[in-house]
Amino acid sequence: MAVETRAVARPAAKARPRPRREREEEVLVWPDLVFVEFIAATLFTITFLMLSVFINAPLLNRANPELTPNPSKAPWYFLNLQELLLHMDKAWAGVLLPTIALGFFASIPYIDRTRSGQGVWFGSKNAVRLTLVSAAYSVIVVAALVSFDSGDRTYTEQLTRWIPSCNAEAQHQGLPCLQDAEGEAHTGFLSTKDISKRLQFSVPFPNALGVDDSNLDWPGDLDRIPVPFNNVCGNVGSFHLWCDMNLNIPSIMAEQVIPLSTVVGLAVAIIYVLFRVGWLRTKRDLFIVMFTAVLVSYLALAMVGSFFRGEGQNLIWPWEIKVDEG
Amino acid sequence: MALTEDPGKPRNLAERVQRVQDAVYSAIFHNYVWQSIFRSGYPNTPRNQMLVVATNIFLHLHPTRIHRTHVKITHTYCLGGLTFFMFLILTVTGVLLMFYYVPSVDSAYQDIAALETNVKFGLLMRNMHRWTAHAMVILVFLHMMRVFYTGAYKPPREFNWVVGVILLVLTLVLSFTGYLLPWDQLALWAVTVGHGIGGSAPFFGDETQLIVFGGFEVGPSTLIRFYTLHVIALPLIAAVFMAVHFWRIRRDGGMARPL
Ligand code: HEM
Repeated sequence: MAVETRAVARPAAKARPRPRREREEEVLVWPDLVFVEFIAATLFTITFLMLSVFINAPLLNRANPELTPNPSKAPWYFLNLQELLLHMDKAWAGVLLPTIALGFFASIPYIDRTRSGQGVWFGSKNAVRLTLVSAAYSVIVVAALVSFDSGDRTYTEQLTRWIPSCNAEAQHQGLPCLQDAEGEAHTGFLSTKDISKRLQFSVPFPNALGVDDSNLDWPGDLDRIPVPFNNVCGNVGSFHLWCDMNLNIPSIMAEQVIPLSTVVGLAVAIIYVLFRVGWLRTKRDLFIVMFTAVLVSYLALAMVGSFFRGEGQNLIWPWEIKVDEG
Repeated sequence: MALTEDPGKPRNLAERVQRVQDAVYSAIFHNYVWQSIFRSGYPNTPRNQMLVVATNIFLHLHPTRIHRTHVKITHTYCLGGLTFFMFLILTVTGVLLMFYYVPSVDSAYQDIAALETNVKFGLLMRNMHRWTAHAMVILVFLHMMRVFYTGAYKPPREFNWVVGVILLVLTLVLSFTGYLLPWDQLALWAVTVGHGIGGSAPFFGDETQLIVFGGFEVGPSTLIRFYTLHVIALPLIAAVFMAVHFWRIRRDGGMARPL
């Protein structure tokens, strides 16, 4: 009976404006919330007591500054930064990118100021799809970039093997070529670092700017470009001025420009595609894609660092990991 | 009226049991001492239930009433609350560990080793501290994801989200400073990696290493710095930010809900 009456009453109730305080929608914190909290706390206490009874926290040998374990690893939540160190300039990997990520997090609510879609999971139209696509894309991108950057272990160096070996005798390498280590077979790019270490080429260039043989050699002529005012030396307080500061263009290319523009380019690409497909329409959509990508990449890189890096930070399978504790 | 009326002799066993229960109940919850501690009676009526939340400092973190959807487990999965609960367990177990731990390069490692073997429940306390610390880091990330995917950072909660980001950083730094304290190979070399990362900061690399790590390599001054940060400075700062965080949830009109 009661159910029937309700069903009839519904349409009328709907037309009524929403009450300012929906008292009838509220429950008392004691017992409804306190009970849930109590159960959650009890379950966690029991779980962690059990875990602690059965699994011991690691305690290795006493710290010895003379013996470096190989590999030495940061705690898992910083292993992603340690992983990035292998692929790009250390200031970007360790400090600048994390700072940018945190700044991005903090600025989200100041840029996406719409109020709609709050208070429910994935409250906007395409939220779930965008999250899934972004998460999958990030995993694939991380896996692909990490693999590419360890060519000799993932065989991606075969993609660039067509670049010829350098002629060691030639004074200038006209066309781009790769310098191979002595006695080693010719390979392609083992990692992006090879762009500054092994790639060589020369272009005819007017004699100026330190070039005196009508040829601009990569990397030889470009690895010590003085910055303006690099003869200003000394300290201001404890802050040292740039004294004798030179730019190493090949290494800036290999460790900053290429890795960063790859990351930014891949991010812009997925955002553009999702925009063209019509799934990404609002700032909220954009942030769902970006937030998911940052967090999933953070996690994926930590996984690579935890499970796929062995001695000498070489890329290996998880079951091959053994730590040489020195 | 009903109370002063003489109830007369109990008529059957059920009534007798009921009488005893009432007597015990009122002996426990209506006595002078209980009522000096808890101003309200046992929270078995709506009035007392609201009073107990409003008059108890710990429960007072909550409002007295809350929207129905917010007590659904699947709305928050209790993640923020559990993060806080991990912080509490860490405080308790951490204080116990401090009784046995001297933060000097000479004794730190032995203290931990001795704690594991010579102290009753020492190993258990250390394990608890370790595993809940990892859990707190995981939970704070999950909590942030919950807040993000429910759009709960939107106005008027912008600033509380920023407070949250600060708490995230504090949680990571708390965990990282604690990592060094056992002074074993794991600790030393993990922190050495972090030391290298700190040193790569543009312009301020040296300053970071000197100020945060106390030198150009991880050594005795790093240990005492990390210890002090880990046991007093960072927990205090985190507690202050948590207080702000919880206060703001109330001030911002409770948790976010659909418009
Ligand atoms: C030590 C770390 C933290 C603790 C102890 C904590 C605790 C809490 C608690 C207990 C709540 C109530 C709702 C819930 O349980 O989900 C909450 C809500 C909230 N937290 Fe946190 N939190 C922490 C970190 C963070 C982080 C990292 C963020 C985001 C970057 C954040 C942003 C928020 C926001 C915006 C709310 C309001 C949610 C809503 O209105 O639905 N918190 N926090």
